[in-house]
Amino acid sequence: MGRQLHTFRVCRLLLLVIVATWLASFTSASAGAQNTAFDLAGNAVNPLKSAGGKVVVLVFVRTDCPVSNRYAPTIQRLSVLYAGKTAFWLVYPSKSESAEAIRKHEREYGYTIPALRDPQHVLVKESHAQITPEVAVFDTGQHLVYHGRIDNLYEDIGRARSVATTHELEDAISAALSGKSLAADATHAVGCYISDLE
Amino acid sequence: MTRASQTLSGFSIILALASGGVAARHAAVTRESAVKPAAAQAQVTFNRDIAPIVFRNCAQCHHPGEAGPFPLLTYADVKSHGRQIAFVTSKRIMPPWLPEPGELKFADELRLSYEEIAAIQAWVDQGEIEGSASDLPPQPTFPVGWQLGKPDVIARAAKPYLLPASGSDSYWNFVFRTPVHRAQWLRAIEIRPGDKRLVHHANVLVDREESGRRLEKEPGAGFAGMELIIESEAFDPDSHFLFWKPGSPPYAEPDGMALRLDKNTDLVLNTHFQPSGKPELVQPTLGLYFTDKPATVHPILLQLDNDRMLDIPPGEKNFLVSDDFTLPVDASVLAIYPHAHYLGKDLLALATLPDGTKKTLIHIGNWDLNWQAVYRYQEPVDLPAGTTISMRFTYDNSADNIRNPNQPPKRVVAGNRASDEMAHLWLQVLPRETGDAMMDPRKQIQEALALHHIQNNPEDFEAHYNLAALLRMKGDVAGAVIQFTQAVRIRPEEATANNALGGVLLGSGRVAEAIPYLNTALKGRPDYFDAHYNLGIALATQGDFPGALSHFRAAVRLNPQDAMAEANLGSALAETGNLKDARLHFERALQIDPKNELARENLEQLNRDAHGHPN
Repeated sequence: MGRQLHTFRVCRLLLLVIVATWLASFTSASAGAQNTAFDLAGNAVNPLKSAGGKVVVLVFVRTDCPVSNRYAPTIQRLSVLYAGKTAFWLVYPSKSESAEAIRKHEREYGYTIPALRDPQHVLVKESHAQITPEVAVFDTGQHLVYHGRIDNLYEDIGRARSVATTHELEDAISAALSGKSLAADATHAVGCYISDLE
Repeated sequence: MTRASQTLSGFSIILALASGGVAARHAAVTRESAVKPAAAQAQVTFNRDIAPIVFRNCAQCHHPGEAGPFPLLTYADVKSHGRQIAFVTSKRIMPPWLPEPGELKFADELRLSYEEIAAIQAWVDQGEIEGSASDLPPQPTFPVGWQLGKPDVIARAAKPYLLPASGSDSYWNFVFRTPVHRAQWLRAIEIRPGDKRLVHHANVLVDREESGRRLEKEPGAGFAGMELIIESEAFDPDSHFLFWKPGSPPYAEPDGMALRLDKNTDLVLNTHFQPSGKPELVQPTLGLYFTDKPATVHPILLQLDNDRMLDIPPGEKNFLVSDDFTLPVDASVLAIYPHAHYLGKDLLALATLPDGTKKTLIHIGNWDLNWQAVYRYQEPVDLPAGTTISMRFTYDNSADNIRNPNQPPKRVVAGNRASDEMAHLWLQVLPRETGDAMMDPRKQIQEALALHHIQNNPEDFEAHYNLAALLRMKGDVAGAVIQFTQAVRIRPEEATANNALGGVLLGSGRVAEAIPYLNTALKGRPDYFDAHYNLGIALATQGDFPGALSHFRAAVRLNPQDAMAEANLGSALAETGNLKDARLHFERALQIDPKNELARENLEQLNRDAHGHPN
């Protein structure tokens, strides 16, 4: 977990395959609610499908991860800043966090962003997310154009700058909105491992 | 009436650079040994191998109500952070413990062995197996509420501090008016800083002179600031480290090392917070534990520093700041507290004994302000007179130091703000008593230290001030005048130093010289009791009783419980012919202190005069 950037590019072919798999599974969701994320009322939700031509930002968080909690004001601020052109979703990948616990968490941290539960890690896999907090940005064509850290506030766990000096999420949103492609479409996020929730 | 001023830094901290040769080697060792247990020991299980490590090293912070952001008490708890734990332990981010292992051992060392780190790694790699229930040791239990039992006195901060949801670290000071009505011996303070997840560290400074209150916008409001200067009348009270960090139980002083707490003493709690992501109200409480055993041994805090050397050019990766102080007497080191801010990199303290033997007192290879701590030795470290204590701190002011508060880096000098730097090394030492009352070893150390600081920096205000106060205590008035004059030269408007210089001149009969300094003191601080009192005496000595009267009145207003001020006010009133009011104030002085001689004699005089002149 050093300082090098994870600069693997998402292979477009692979990505298409994954999207296809995901869409396929979504169609079967109504049958057994398999392979889908849920809103807090328990309904199956596909945040990409319901984007209505907007850029989609998935933000992976967990209620007991101090790094992702510290980012709450930043995440909320960016969701307001880009409202209208982007759709932000909080994604809780924990199997055990209840809708009630998530509602409480949202209230406490001042979130007004809609939340999804992703107990089967459908969105986690779709986004290649490994950490909370980690963000995934999908362009209007529903292609994953960026996943990784929000900014560089944390260099590592326990090693934080006083302020962030790079702002990867904002750069990715701007690029997606202007239709540009990004040079590096993945960075290494710092926080808590999503795989610990499996 | 002079006051000694001592600077105590609010303790601050550092973050360790997780790179560097040593750390890299450790990581390699860890990976190698991670393989061994996995191969040699067929299976690592939570119940048999991991729970004992976690219970002993993690659970004290990671249980509900404590500083850890999630509990680590059960298999499910640990599994849901398994990879995280393997990562942070392999990099020694957790448990937080900065000193490198060395010859001298610290109490409560919190450092995993390589074998323990490897076992955690193997457990995660093998799929986090729970194991046999019969292997699970009992879950540790922790006292609920006050850790040392019910305190004798509980003090709560008057007003909460609102920690913003976001932003960089904040430093806030709470001033506690201690509800103590007579001098008490304090054996422990339990600091409950509020929500422990927010507080990185806190320390208590004993404030006998209301230094903290003067910085509050309104009473009880508290004030911002990372480092503090607290005045104190004597040198002894501040000789204890009153420090809180997450997970450490409150420290009770051994018998004979209690701390004196007087009526009207304030306790200033200096806290370092990190935002949590939501706004938080923080209202700390202090639990005070008294003893009837007064202090019989008196440690002192010895500070090495070299602020004048702290002038770090931008981009400098390895800037050295050093200081060397030679002990004038035999002493034992009880505890050590190295302190730098965000540029601090490698902090080393050495002792070179007269025979040339070197001891590493502490070495922190990866300084991390956030985990700063006071380290107490398991056994006192005995150092003979003539031992040189050396501070060798290095700083990284390059852009590669991610904690650098200035991006791009800029020149950084010594100062109290988080963006300034510090190079301080505090040692709590117990000088060996000589049995010779004239050769108080504590004063010898203090004097040597003040001279040392003046040598390092002739512009060191506190050193001149403290040296003056020590000389005055020894009866060297001429020396005290010279040193106080230097202090006033450095800070011409500083009220405390001006009052001290005025006071010592007044005490040696140089009344006319004293008055301008006392006036300056009052200009700087109009509600300064001591300066009003001293100026009242000076003016009365010159026969200016109406002038004296107004200052004694001010003094009585500022401190209605001071018998001498009342007695002197009575005297000045009598001198101006107002015998009726004079009598009232003499009586008031005797109410406060029935043994007040001035009031008693003057009252007797008034009574004799009244009888001699019935009309």
